[in-house]
Amino acid sequence: MYRLALNMLFGDRAKLAMLLCGLAFSALLMAQQSSVFFGIMSWTYTPMVNIRAQVWVSDPMVEQVNDAKPLRDTDLGRVRSVDGVAWAAPLHTSFVQARMQDGNFKLITLVGIDADTFAGAPAVLSQGRIEDLRLPDTVIVDEWGAALMGRMGVGPDGKPKNTPLQVGDTFEINDIQARIVGICRVKRAFTGGPFVYTTYDRAKGYTLGARRTLSFMLVEPQKGVAPAELCDRIERDTGLKAWTSDTVIWSWGERSLARNTFWWFWTNTGIPFSFGTAVLLGLFVGIAISGQTFYSFVLENLKYFAAIKAMGAGMGVIARMLFVQAFTAGLIGFGLGAGMAQAIGRVMIEKGMPPFVMYPQILWATFALVLGISFVSAVIGIIKVSRVDAASVFRG
Amino acid sequence: MSHLAHTVAVRATGVDMFFGTPENRVVALKQAEFEARRGELIMLVGPSGCGKTTLLSVIAGTLTPQAGTVEVFGQRLDGLGQEALTAFRRRNLGFVFQSFNLIPTLTVVENVMVPLLIQGRSFGEARASALAILDKVGLKGREDGRPNALSGGQQQRGAIARALVHEPPLLICDEPTSALDKDTGGHIMQLVRDLSRSPERCVVVVTHDHRIFRFADRIAEMEDGRISRVVDDPKLLDTTHL
Ligand SMILES: Nc1ncnc2c1ncn2[C@@H]1O[C@H](COP(=O)(O)OP(=O)(O)OP(=O)(O)O)[C@@H](O)[C@H]1O
Ligand SMILES: [Mg+2]
Repeated sequence: MYRLALNMLFGDRAKLAMLLCGLAFSALLMAQQSSVFFGIMSWTYTPMVNIRAQVWVSDPMVEQVNDAKPLRDTDLGRVRSVDGVAWAAPLHTSFVQARMQDGNFKLITLVGIDADTFAGAPAVLSQGRIEDLRLPDTVIVDEWGAALMGRMGVGPDGKPKNTPLQVGDTFEINDIQARIVGICRVKRAFTGGPFVYTTYDRAKGYTLGARRTLSFMLVEPQKGVAPAELCDRIERDTGLKAWTSDTVIWSWGERSLARNTFWWFWTNTGIPFSFGTAVLLGLFVGIAISGQTFYSFVLENLKYFAAIKAMGAGMGVIARMLFVQAFTAGLIGFGLGAGMAQAIGRVMIEKGMPPFVMYPQILWATFALVLGISFVSAVIGIIKVSRVDAASVFRG
Repeated sequence: MSHLAHTVAVRATGVDMFFGTPENRVVALKQAEFEARRGELIMLVGPSGCGKTTLLSVIAGTLTPQAGTVEVFGQRLDGLGQEALTAFRRRNLGFVFQSFNLIPTLTVVENVMVPLLIQGRSFGEARASALAILDKVGLKGREDGRPNALSGGQQQRGAIARALVHEPPLLICDEPTSALDKDTGGHIMQLVRDLSRSPERCVVVVTHDHRIFRFADRIAEMEDGRISRVVDDPKLLDTTHL
């Protein structure tokens, strides 16, 4: 009977197409919106991805990575003396105004890294060498930032053309020259950018007047010392706060700075709410469209279900038929929707805008919700069929 | 009397059936008595609204009367629960409807397979039986098409195949020819007669169509919710009101 149930479903191509459209659309909306949401949220802990270090140490009041509360330079020595620390390097981050050659000002994120270890240096340089940062007045700019800080001019075709900054170009930070010796490729951030990398000591010069410049300390544990274990020791010995750098935001735990940053934005901004609304919208649209189409599918077949009932099929069999139909449609609809979301996501990832992170959990959740929609539709259909009198087969 | 009881297929006694609320009540059957024998084709005739379909539904176990007893092939239907009634229909009944009621999204052969699949037969077995009976009703070659591609007469042939594929002892037909033209209706009734003929099977046909009366062994005339007369010869009927 279930095979016939499927044939009944596939027999009406137009109805089926509409049903699948509804389910696929809601799956798409839910998966896509959630992925963009997690993509944007992943921007909140961008520094954790760009600046690679096993352990981060901050002021005890720090709650998330974008909100640095400067430390004393002497804290560095205290951390270095903690048992299990292989090395500790200073890190400076701040927002400063940079003056371009054409006189325009741009807000940049200045990142000062340790000139000895280059701890926290960008992983990928598309031009230049990291060692060139040891030359005077030098900086490395990220690709996207180089374009953002570029010169607007007129191209050969007469259209406006942006010329990105290149190696050799200069600008000024607080009247001090900054010469570009490299271009790096880093992940975009929620707050901040263009990223301008320089050495920690030079960053001090660029931010003249800043009383404290040590935003974070990047720490490497000795071999055999687990990062979380080292965090405990650092906190116990120095009274500072120590974090691990894992970016798995799903598992619960206090140590990950990325996770804390994520949840800080979750609880302190309206982003989850606005995206939650979009996801809910997808759910409602899905329930409405698929529920409605499935309901009309049932209505259209009501007299046949009544006939099947009269011929001696119990409600159990009919209920299972409807479940088979609804869940099959749900499965295909989910496949289509998730596939489309993936395809759109691929394009988005290529363009980098908007960000897109499709966790497997998103797919599972979407899958569960689409099956939920199917379940509700089937139950509505079952109620409808159970109310129809088998005797009605003789009428009309 | 004991000899007669042996031949009885359907017996309904003192059946009351009314619809609607107590204040606004429509009486469909009023102390109706009805009997059909094994091996016969009996027709139920009478003016519109006299209760033919209602009586048929009561016999078929799709409608439970407020009063009276119904016995079909020795099985008392009154007092059976929904589940038992459903199981009873699954085993004992074949239906032919006025509007064919073939599922349009299924092929002809799949439609015919439905009663067997409901009984839990395997797909392959059901398909083989369905193909065999489709051959008998003259639909060989049309089995994998959709019902809508068939003429009305052909669709009703498909419906007859579906009604008989599981060899039910009781075949119930409500106005099987009224959606068909005269010749087609005659052919359909001929087919019902030929295929359902069996000393153990009883066929009950509700009809308005006096052109098919000649296919009946007996004709029961209904009036105001009860059987008023049963005749052996259609010529004895007063057909002016039909
Ligand atoms: N489900 C129902 N609800 C209310 N009234 C009903 C219902 N079924 C039948 N009736 C009424 O019961 C009476 C008998 O109906 P029934 O359908 O049995 O007549 P019929 O002899 O089959 O008529 P027709 O020849 O028009 O098919 C009619 O008055 C009808 O209106
Ligand atoms: Mg009727």
